[in-house]
Amino acid sequence: MTTRLEGAEKVTGRARYSSDVRLPGQLYAKILRSPHPHAKVLRIDTKRAEALAGVHAVVSSTNGPDISWHDDTRLLDTTVRYIGDEVAAVAAESEEVAQDALRLIQVEYLPLAFDVTEGKPAATKVQERGNVLTGLREADAVVEASYTTATALHNALEPHGCTAVWEGDELTLYESTQGIFAVRDEVAQKLGLSKEKVRVITPHMGGGFGAKQIAWKHSVIAALLAKRAGRPVQLMLDRTEENLASGNRNATRQHLRLGAKRDGTLTAIDARITFQSGAYQVGGEDSDLTGTYMTLYRCGNVRAEQTAMKLNAGPSVAFRGPGYVEANFALESAMDELARKLGMDPIALRLRNYAERDQSEDKPYTSAQSLRRCIERVADVFDWQRRRKGIGFAAHDWMAGGGWPPATVEVTMREGRAEVLVGVQDIGTGPRTALAQIAAEILGIPLERVTVHLGDTKPGLYGPTSSGSTTLATIGPALVEAARKAKKSGYGRAERGKNPQDKSIRTCGAQCAEVEVDMATGEVTVLRVVAAHDCGRIINPLLVESQVIGGVTQGVGFALAEERVMDERLGESLNANLEEYKVATVRDIPQIVNATESMPDLEANTLGTKGIGEPPIIPTAAAIANAIFDATGVRIRDLPITRDKLLVAMNSGQKSTQRLTLVSHP
Amino acid sequence: MRPFAYSHPPTLDAALGAIGPAARPLAGGTDLLTLIKADLAAPESLVNVKALLPGGVQAKPEGLEIGALATLAELEEHPVVRDGYSALAQAASLAATPQIRNLATVGGNLLQRPRCWYFRNSRIDCWLKGGEDCPARDGENRNHAILGGGPCYAVHPSDIVPALMAFDAAVRIVGPAGERWVELADFMQAPREERRTETVLASNELVAGLRLPPHPEPTGSVYLKAMERKTWAFALAGVACALRFSGRKIAHARIILSGVAPVPWRATAAERELLGREAGEDRFAAAAEAALQEAQPLRHNGYKVPLQKALVRRALKTLTERQCS
Repeated sequence: MTTRLEGAEKVTGRARYSSDVRLPGQLYAKILRSPHPHAKVLRIDTKRAEALAGVHAVVSSTNGPDISWHDDTRLLDTTVRYIGDEVAAVAAESEEVAQDALRLIQVEYLPLAFDVTEGKPAATKVQERGNVLTGLREADAVVEASYTTATALHNALEPHGCTAVWEGDELTLYESTQGIFAVRDEVAQKLGLSKEKVRVITPHMGGGFGAKQIAWKHSVIAALLAKRAGRPVQLMLDRTEENLASGNRNATRQHLRLGAKRDGTLTAIDARITFQSGAYQVGGEDSDLTGTYMTLYRCGNVRAEQTAMKLNAGPSVAFRGPGYVEANFALESAMDELARKLGMDPIALRLRNYAERDQSEDKPYTSAQSLRRCIERVADVFDWQRRRKGIGFAAHDWMAGGGWPPATVEVTMREGRAEVLVGVQDIGTGPRTALAQIAAEILGIPLERVTVHLGDTKPGLYGPTSSGSTTLATIGPALVEAARKAKKSGYGRAERGKNPQDKSIRTCGAQCAEVEVDMATGEVTVLRVVAAHDCGRIINPLLVESQVIGGVTQGVGFALAEERVMDERLGESLNANLEEYKVATVRDIPQIVNATESMPDLEANTLGTKGIGEPPIIPTAAAIANAIFDATGVRIRDLPITRDKLLVAMNSGQKSTQRLTLVSHP
Repeated sequence: MRPFAYSHPPTLDAALGAIGPAARPLAGGTDLLTLIKADLAAPESLVNVKALLPGGVQAKPEGLEIGALATLAELEEHPVVRDGYSALAQAASLAATPQIRNLATVGGNLLQRPRCWYFRNSRIDCWLKGGEDCPARDGENRNHAILGGGPCYAVHPSDIVPALMAFDAAVRIVGPAGERWVELADFMQAPREERRTETVLASNELVAGLRLPPHPEPTGSVYLKAMERKTWAFALAGVACALRFSGRKIAHARIILSGVAPVPWRATAAERELLGREAGEDRFAAAAEAALQEAQPLRHNGYKVPLQKALVRRALKTLTERQCS
């Protein structure tokens, strides 16, 4: 088995992350953040901070350049829109001095009305085919229910941050990012520089989960401070800042109606969704909540409407499977409810409505039977037919994973060694290793004679942001071509070809969960999760399994504990830390069985590989919620499923007697 | 965090002369440093007492002596504690994380401040920090008190204090005037208007240790704790229970609830339901009812009532089965 090439470097502490950068004369910066959920900044006085020994630069809306940010906001705005919004920043000889200086900045605020619960509608998107009212009329059984998911926080081990250093008018950012080119382009634009003047370097990063796929304010602020001080500036966020102001998975409210014939054939899917997008909308992948409603099941009458709500909380941003994770919980809980109403095996109901075409794009899928194969595989490995209490199932699809061209790859042979140059970064999933394996195989040389260079914009070889689970499927096929050329001539360069136009590429999968519920105390123990996903050809089984374990682990947290808690009267986040925001610990993690099989999808790309970074988190919460219903007879439609909800429901006689029906599958 | 001075006096007397409202003693630091980092405490100086107070756990004829500097890890692992004071070893093992238990001292554990998320947020002016009102009472109070709440509704975070109370522990306090002993049950006091802390310790005193009086064998004990996840969380509800039987009849009972009141809550009404009576499901249920009789749940913490009752019943049943079968 091929283990991570950078593994030893990481576990021995030799791998350098953004916060490890130490440059001569380097300063440390801290950001002053709004203590008000909504306010006008009337006056800022930074004189005392500037006079403090060890302080080298201060920026604020009073003395900094006026730089536009997302929507109609500014980098350092005179209106602050949530607790944690950026007001000013200081660069000093140590973080402690910078912290002391922040306390010396005097700001006069005029508090304004705020809202951290409902919000105002900002943008609505509707997808529709057929007529759901007709479909509901044709139905023999209808399930109608509302589901909610909580605001979840990424909490990557490494916070956001960078070190900014100028040489003349050229800026280098050592940045913890999953999109070196995205950060380069956005920061250059904000500073009025041409893209070539900005270089972004990310040799290693401690996770991002979507929250690091765009440029955030800290990068521009660090650059401004570094320019002003004439010295390198390091600006790393702390855990509270991570939880307040560095993105989140938007909370959702989803009202669903599903209609089906007696035999399980879906006649209507109707979803009305609102989600909390925060104080302003940032870029990156959209949270597409409508997507899976349109595609996961074959149905002629579907309507999905999502409305983004603006409110006085930190902006939301892509979080591992954005939109799909939240929507999957509602859809796959409702499918379980429908199966019980119809007296059908939940898996049989899914297979009855199996979609072989992308109904949104009106095209066939490249590997149309892969979801069926995942469902059958997971049922088999889990031993679904063996009746016991507390089992649940969920399937999922994901709109990406097939590769997002363009990208360019270079391979150069030097003295029997291959140098692979790509413009992607390693978000932590291990592309160095997988790409080296591909190059070694094509070139016919041992793995240790391949070096993959990534995480630097300087060479100008574009690679995509690590988002959508697309890195390997984007770079891999181009690398095959470049390596073939290099084998012949010692040097090869290749562009990633276009994806097929006549077919749609998706990734998908299924999971089964087994839980135990202590009926007296409401304690849920997830015993086992079996997962099978379609990620095309598996290049490195260990890396795939790592993603399955990581995704399911985050899914367990999302299902049972993770939730940002806000006080609506104060506009305060009450658990902006890792003590009260409960991520799953090693003791919460069940046995995770990775049943994923290699199934090359050669219609998707020449290598037949697809992504696995995001999919494993998508169906976990629904599978667990369905298992909890099976164990207790109580349906909790609001995530996370905590003891307070379970105990209240179990003690108020909400138990259902609907039995789980199991039938044999082929 | 604000700048502070740091000293390590050579003797206990010197330390006692140095400490006061603005000069705080530092031992494990697992709570004090988090308070300082969160800007909830800003002492002018920290006085290192790590070499000045007793540590360790010793079984003596006059009882079990626990030094103030004994760590939670020591309680968890000490054979005498594990054998004779199971609830205490269990409580220690269910607290925090192994890393924290290796540093956190018993003395500091008694003195730790609540984890209420309003209290722990430096921007929020709550009653316990000298403010006018408790924002939790009508706010996000799922983790808050159902017993003895008001004016503060924070719950006491300790796991070991309920267990120590179940063994009738007494606290040895040293101060400028010498030493004094206080029953732990009296040492822990819900904060009130003129003393917004959870203990009666004065700012110029130190906790030196605890003594648990000898208890006749066999006294069985157990600590049960409900958390939001499997580990590394404070109690949503918990119970330390010690029982001794005379035949099938209950001769001695201590039931101390954790995670539901501003200080660990001795359920004397529940103990009365048990004393001199024969153990059985009905008795356990009656004791659980009695323990929560005075419960006054807030808007979001009503679930703690059935949860706490279930833990009391389970603790009693566990001990009965262990000792009477």
